Amino acid sequence: MDQLAAVAERVAATSSRNEKIAHVANYLKTLDDVDLARAVLYLSGSPHAATDPRKLTVGYATLRAALEEVTKWDPETLSLCYREVGDSGETIAHLCRPITKAEPLSLGRAEEYFELLQQTRLTRIKIDLLATIFQTYTAPAIKFFVKTITGNLRIGLQEKMVEEAVAQAAGRDAEAVRAANNRSGNIARVALAARHDQLQTIEAALFHPLDFMLAQPLDNIVDLADPTEWYAEDKFDGIRSQLHVANGKVKLYTRGLDETTDAFPEIILAFTNMPGPVILDGEILSFKDGRALPFHQFQQRIARKKVTQKTINEIPVVFLAYDILMHRGELVFDQPIEHRRALLECLNLSQLSVQIAVENHAQVEDLFLAARARGNEGLVLKKRGSLYESGRRGANWLKVKRPFATLDVVVTAAEQGHGRRAGVLSDVTFAVRDGDRFLNIGKAYSGLTDEEIKQLTKIFRAGAIERYAGGRVQLVKPEVVLEVAFDGMQKSPRHKSGYALRFPRIIRWRQDKTPADIDTLARVRELFEKV
Amino acid sequence: MRVEYTADGIYLPDIGLWLDPRLPVPAAWLSHAHSDHARGLHDSVIATPITAQIYRHRWPLPPDRSQQVFTLVPNQSMDWNGATLTARQAAHILGAAQLLVEYQGERLVYTGDIKRRTPICGWSTEPTPCDHLIIESTFGIPIYQFIEVHEAQARIANFARECLDKGITPVFQGYGLGRGQEIAHTLALHQIPCRIHGSIAGLIPYFEAQGYTFPQESENGAILLTPGLEEKLPIPPSKRKSALVSGWAALDNARARANADVLIPYSDHADFSELLTLIGESNPSQVDIVHGYAEPLARILRQRGLNARAALVATEVQI
Repeated sequence: MDQLAAVAERVAATSSRNEKIAHVANYLKTLDDVDLARAVLYLSGSPHAATDPRKLTVGYATLRAALEEVTKWDPETLSLCYREVGDSGETIAHLCRPITKAEPLSLGRAEEYFELLQQTRLTRIKIDLLATIFQTYTAPAIKFFVKTITGNLRIGLQEKMVEEAVAQAAGRDAEAVRAANNRSGNIARVALAARHDQLQTIEAALFHPLDFMLAQPLDNIVDLADPTEWYAEDKFDGIRSQLHVANGKVKLYTRGLDETTDAFPEIILAFTNMPGPVILDGEILSFKDGRALPFHQFQQRIARKKVTQKTINEIPVVFLAYDILMHRGELVFDQPIEHRRALLECLNLSQLSVQIAVENHAQVEDLFLAARARGNEGLVLKKRGSLYESGRRGANWLKVKRPFATLDVVVTAAEQGHGRRAGVLSDVTFAVRDGDRFLNIGKAYSGLTDEEIKQLTKIFRAGAIERYAGGRVQLVKPEVVLEVAFDGMQKSPRHKSGYALRFPRIIRWRQDKTPADIDTLARVRELFEKV
Repeated sequence: MRVEYTADGIYLPDIGLWLDPRLPVPAAWLSHAHSDHARGLHDSVIATPITAQIYRHRWPLPPDRSQQVFTLVPNQSMDWNGATLTARQAAHILGAAQLLVEYQGERLVYTGDIKRRTPICGWSTEPTPCDHLIIESTFGIPIYQFIEVHEAQARIANFARECLDKGITPVFQGYGLGRGQEIAHTLALHQIPCRIHGSIAGLIPYFEAQGYTFPQESENGAILLTPGLEEKLPIPPSKRKSALVSGWAALDNARARANADVLIPYSDHADFSELLTLIGESNPSQVDIVHGYAEPLARILRQRGLNARAALVATEVQI
């Protein structure tokens, strides 16, 4: 763990993607097979593979109880320290540094601890185990041991980069490693297979999220070179998700790649009897009286922690399928869209997106207006003969949204409102993405409901990085994604992005998206060219 | 001895002396030359000779004004309205000093900004036992842990070397007075050429006068800037790397805040354990804490049985 921690710090200390990958690859080369399997898992931010049903169940309260025990700091001091640092692993490492025996922690030993923590159900025993760890090992080892538990290393290393490092260390094709990890959800096995040239033996597994195929925006329908190459489907205003079914077991994963099975019991029930193994790509929608409910109503359902029968009656949800990734246990990514569509139609699903082969621009326009009239976002155009490009935002899927675009942005700062909104952080500054950086592009004051503002205020307070003006303004961890609409765009030195939006307003809170999914500066430039 | 904490600074009414006041006053002790401590034209100032010189450089005296300047070298004393004032070395920036005030049998020490570790440029702290201690707490909670001076110098030099070896420009962010010259001096010790921003370079003669060496100007060495200027460099981000040498660099989130790649947690302020050491060495019966984490640190001290309170004076935070 000490070596891994040292590598992780080097990874954090460079913003160059290639350098990060090279640091990891060089490290992986030095490890034997067992340590290689452990290291790639931990560097991906998890003690277990994605397909492993075991869960560690060590929460913040447990970590904190152990920390309090070994450091003897009072709760107020601990809370302040955590607030200033913003990461459990790092806070714990700093506070344990003066008291630990600072022995090195091997990856094998770390794995034993993860096993022990996972096996015991008693919180008391978990706390004792953590307390022992916090008093025994070096601060860097403790830091990354805890980060592996909390699931985010915060060193700017995405799993995609770990895949590339695995490929580089083993001298294999990065795409083959990525594909193997995407289908199996087990980076540890993939790393070993890559080393021993057995990637082709890695089989597909269900019950871990596969990468979604994404659509590029199409701003103007007339930009479509040859309309006859495309199919059109409505673009729905729901949550993009993946449904996995096998042997009566059903699981749902969203775009943020989180599992959301428990939030939508009626969907699970509806698919329990479907013959599997099947993986479907589609949208969770709230559907009532024959049409999709507006997103803000649907969002009330998402916000519920506990799903009761009353919730289900008020805001019922369905899974509307539009693609298939696995059929009877076979991956069908590499089958053309027509073939996948045929498989999909054979499943006799109650909710299936309507697909229309288009012939000319006028028809696309009509379909777009019809989709809007049905309360949907617009259209998705899918290229005839195209394959399912898992994890790509290629040119084979195009999304047609509002005439003037919206942007998905991330909130970087929040400010107290005035009057009725004096106690909440209602005014937000938001940014687009440029590589690893977030560049501010505007500020918005309206568009969210009071309830959403209340929830967001909690998130912003928890994620505050820095406070100004007596706490009225807070820089926040970039994590909340909003969709903003605007009427125009101009160049402006006021924001770091170099652009400003005209009349920006919040359309909605995109809980289904992560900061990695937001629009980029390149996209902003592209839109600006069109104004 | 009475101590008043006001928005304008700390005031000792029994002897008519202000400590690092923010506005012009009749008489002021200037603990060191940072502009949030030594500012404005007071009628009389008391400071160490180095602090007085740099203060004059930054606050020149207009021809129509007069000012009485009293200088005290460390351990030199003077009488002041019935009290004895003694300057005591403070490790912070060049010339920084604590003030010991002895009045009617009571000893009060005002540390100014201070640390316990040895600085790269400047003298070490002289522990000064007292009854009443006024101390800062910029980094007064236990997450702040800094590195030793030799370790900081090694990291500064290694970072610069590694970058230059790869054909990348190393950029350092350092405050105009203190950190900037310490980094430059460290680079000189390791024969690493560098370009220095004017606001740092302008004060180098005061350091040279104390015997510190500085690197030769070179077009292809390291770059030394005050914080916030890096974006303006005509070097593409892929061709440069930036190191933050600061107490804030003790936390990983400084990377995003300061847009830095490499973090070197070296400060001219005390980290948490140094503060405890300093307070322990002074062994006061009353501790007043100013700046930074005043209330949290006071609470921690009270838990340990000390008579401590937060005495807040608004200040600017510097990187």
